[in-house]
Amino acid sequence: MKNSKTKAKYQTFIGLEVHIHLITESKVFCGCRNVFGSEPNTNVCPVCMGYPGVLPSLNEEAVKKAYQVAMALNCHLNEKAVFERKNYFYPDMPKNYQISQFEFPFGVDGYFDLELADGSTRKIRIHDVHLEEDAGKMIHEGSQSKLDYNRAGTPLLEIVTEPDLVTGEEAEAFVQQFRQMVRYLGVTDGNMEEGSLRCDANVSINEFGKGLGTKTECKNLNSSRFIKKALEYEIKRHTKVINSGDKIIQETRLWDESSSKTSSMRTKESSNDYRYFPEPDLPPYWPETKFLADIKESLVELPGIRKNRFIDEYGINQQQALFLTSEKSMADFFETVVEGDIEDKSLPGTVASWLSGNVQKILNNSGQGIEESSLSPRRLLSILNMIKKDKISTGIGKKVLGLVFEADKDPEDIVKNMGLDEGPDESEIFRIVSDIVDANPKVAEAIRDGADKQIGFFMGQVMKATSGKANPGKIQKLLREKILTGPEKN
Amino acid sequence: MKIKENLDSYLKYVSNWEEKIGSFLEFDISRTKGMSTVEGQLAGIPFGVKDNFAVEGFNITCGSKILEGVSAPYTATSVAKLQAAGAVVVGKTNLDAFGMGSSTDNSAFKITNNPWDTNRVAGGSSGGSAAAVAAGIVPFALGSDTGGSVRQPASFCGVYGLKPTYGVVSRYGLTAYASSLDVVGVVARTVEMTKTVFDTMKGQDIKDNTSVSHPGSRNNGDVKKIAVLKIEDGSLSDDVAKSYLESRKLLEKLGYDIVEIELPSLEYVVPVYYTIATAEASANLARYNGLRYGYRSKNGNDPGEIMQTSRDEGFGDEVKLRILLGTYVLRSGFQDQFYHKAQKIRTAIRNEFDKIFELADLIMMPVFPTAAFKHGSKDLDPFQQKVADRYTCAANLTGLPALAIPSSIENGLPVGVQFTAPAFEEDRLFNIAKVLEKDFPSPLAPGTKNWSII
Repeated sequence: MKNSKTKAKYQTFIGLEVHIHLITESKVFCGCRNVFGSEPNTNVCPVCMGYPGVLPSLNEEAVKKAYQVAMALNCHLNEKAVFERKNYFYPDMPKNYQISQFEFPFGVDGYFDLELADGSTRKIRIHDVHLEEDAGKMIHEGSQSKLDYNRAGTPLLEIVTEPDLVTGEEAEAFVQQFRQMVRYLGVTDGNMEEGSLRCDANVSINEFGKGLGTKTECKNLNSSRFIKKALEYEIKRHTKVINSGDKIIQETRLWDESSSKTSSMRTKESSNDYRYFPEPDLPPYWPETKFLADIKESLVELPGIRKNRFIDEYGINQQQALFLTSEKSMADFFETVVEGDIEDKSLPGTVASWLSGNVQKILNNSGQGIEESSLSPRRLLSILNMIKKDKISTGIGKKVLGLVFEADKDPEDIVKNMGLDEGPDESEIFRIVSDIVDANPKVAEAIRDGADKQIGFFMGQVMKATSGKANPGKIQKLLREKILTGPEKN
Repeated sequence: MKIKENLDSYLKYVSNWEEKIGSFLEFDISRTKGMSTVEGQLAGIPFGVKDNFAVEGFNITCGSKILEGVSAPYTATSVAKLQAAGAVVVGKTNLDAFGMGSSTDNSAFKITNNPWDTNRVAGGSSGGSAAAVAAGIVPFALGSDTGGSVRQPASFCGVYGLKPTYGVVSRYGLTAYASSLDVVGVVARTVEMTKTVFDTMKGQDIKDNTSVSHPGSRNNGDVKKIAVLKIEDGSLSDDVAKSYLESRKLLEKLGYDIVEIELPSLEYVVPVYYTIATAEASANLARYNGLRYGYRSKNGNDPGEIMQTSRDEGFGDEVKLRILLGTYVLRSGFQDQFYHKAQKIRTAIRNEFDKIFELADLIMMPVFPTAAFKHGSKDLDPFQQKVADRYTCAANLTGLPALAIPSSIENGLPVGVQFTAPAFEEDRLFNIAKVLEKDFPSPLAPGTKNWSII
């Protein structure tokens, strides 16, 4: 996809504005539930509907999550954070201003270690992390416009990068890795289709060494793939415009997936003057040292760090470690299973290959995440133990795994109830066979002399001694071997 | 006289006076049935609430066509606290739309007249509340004070008007005009009632993040030394100047230690007030767009157009003027010149007041340069009315508590005087007011009497 001519002549600058919906019990300034998919206008109250006389009351849970992200992005935390009003009129915005942060957001001047395709990392600078409220939704149906305010006032965290990304591919990777990180932190579900993670991209090109060019902003990027495609389209468009001697107009452009093109939405001249000023209804927020220390303490290990630790600590390969740490739930699951038997040095490798193979296959088919499935770390460990002790074969193990997912039952019970148990292993059966044959030398003698039917007597005895669990074919084979070798000579 | 035992004559009294003064936008004693049984300090006491407060069961019009017929879906914290103490809301009082004005003439619905002279205004913006109390219809009423909107009408009508320390009474449920200046205020017939209502309402509210709990007075509300603002010749009308001088003499006679002071920063109070208040108002009033509630224009083809036409047809001239002014001062590139500069001067004004309080317990100053003026622009045009806000706006810009006290009757009209105290020193205001009340209680307008318990 890379245009070698572009690469030679121009430098590309891409900056992203990523919005994530924070997972909280209630909205950011009122007590309404913060959930997706309810009946229109059911999670609303006078506050989020902007009735006369209402006031915002800051949700501490949202503040904590904002700080978690700011810390994970290595931001400088402002001593004082200030909410401001961003003024513009839009039918889905109840107050016709959005409470946001501008001059003093929670976090500024951070960075994100982006892993590049060649395995190296690059620091992408973070301009700021700020908390704001989302708007409602306007739906056009024929000649009607309908408004749903369920989303109005839900907590939104905006992360703004510096223009440090250089290709559409990098921007896509950033969004994917960033999404993984915030899902790890547990602050958002990161669902792009439901709008829990939204991204706008700013792009400009210029001759090398000349700094930023005139930028355009792309909106309507509902998947990380669209981000890549839209940016690649825009870079080509910029190049073409500049090569032809024209100038890029600073504007906002919409990505249209069906035509794979961007088109102008509004130019800078027609853009709003937001008339920011400090929100007088919310005093400046001064985070206490202990409050921040507690958040820092509670921060989870981030995916990149955890991946490297998995490789070092468990001796698994890069590929497996990458897979296991892609979701926090999977990585947690892995470590719980491994901790179940720390003596077994081969266990991490076995667990890793089961999770990335058999287990993931089933999860892919059902579309479930491991944490919501009926497979628990204890259940997986139990299957692996049965295989290890030859109680069941690897093949039966896979079958049991499937049944655990289907029936939500413990593997031991499945094996027992369905008779998948192979009973005592061969050496055990041989010991029992030997004892019984040795105890009945005359019968053995008779069989050796041709009374083959008498073998039934031994079969019955062995079956009884193994509670019917032993494989009959195996018993007969071992019996014949034992009888033919004759009595112990010594 | 108790309303309970004389309901018919009370209602007749109310309708007689309402015909003359028009203080209520809604009045309905029937809604009080079953509500007067609450035990409490204010049990059975009727009160009026300015129509920019939310009270469930009543409308909340803010005196503007854009909110005509809108009923409040919840009750303001301040009102709920009074109801919990047994007080009963009997109606919603008239006001200048959204609290913007000094006359109550800027109401979209009716004119409110002064009970002392129906050709004159009751003041504003809480003119309905002050007129209702002065006419004896209710012993107290709630108002909001953003730049003097409780104290000025109280003074025009000869009753007490309290503007508490900013944040001490929850603003939740009070329609915002200028959020950093708005306070819930009390208009009442007596000092004791003013204090009781204030004490009932004060306290931190989780629904108002700018609210604070009241720490109490640092000196038991003791008042010994009073700073009296020196008045330049010609700043006050003759009546008000005379009354002001008498108040000063009375304080001296009563043995208070008097020191004359100047407040040079008062010069900046009005421009600073109108910069900050209108900036905040331009955002606060943006929500009224006809889409979710209130007046919706029939002219407009899409939601964007409907918002524009509804606001154009729904807001009155004074409100539009202030929204435009506020939008102007917040423009990008002009914020340093206007809004931010105003905030700096605001801090300087507060510092000047704090300095005075290092040497005095209270500051005495006028409430307004004139007594109640006539309707229309005959006495004071809208611009002159704004310039005259200098004595009242200072308390809003500084956040300090202030009380307007009736001081005399001049040519048949009441005149008041204002005391300002350090933050949280409302008790000093009540103490001085009680002393002065013995000498000159709130005067009864001709033909009025006081009704009390429902």
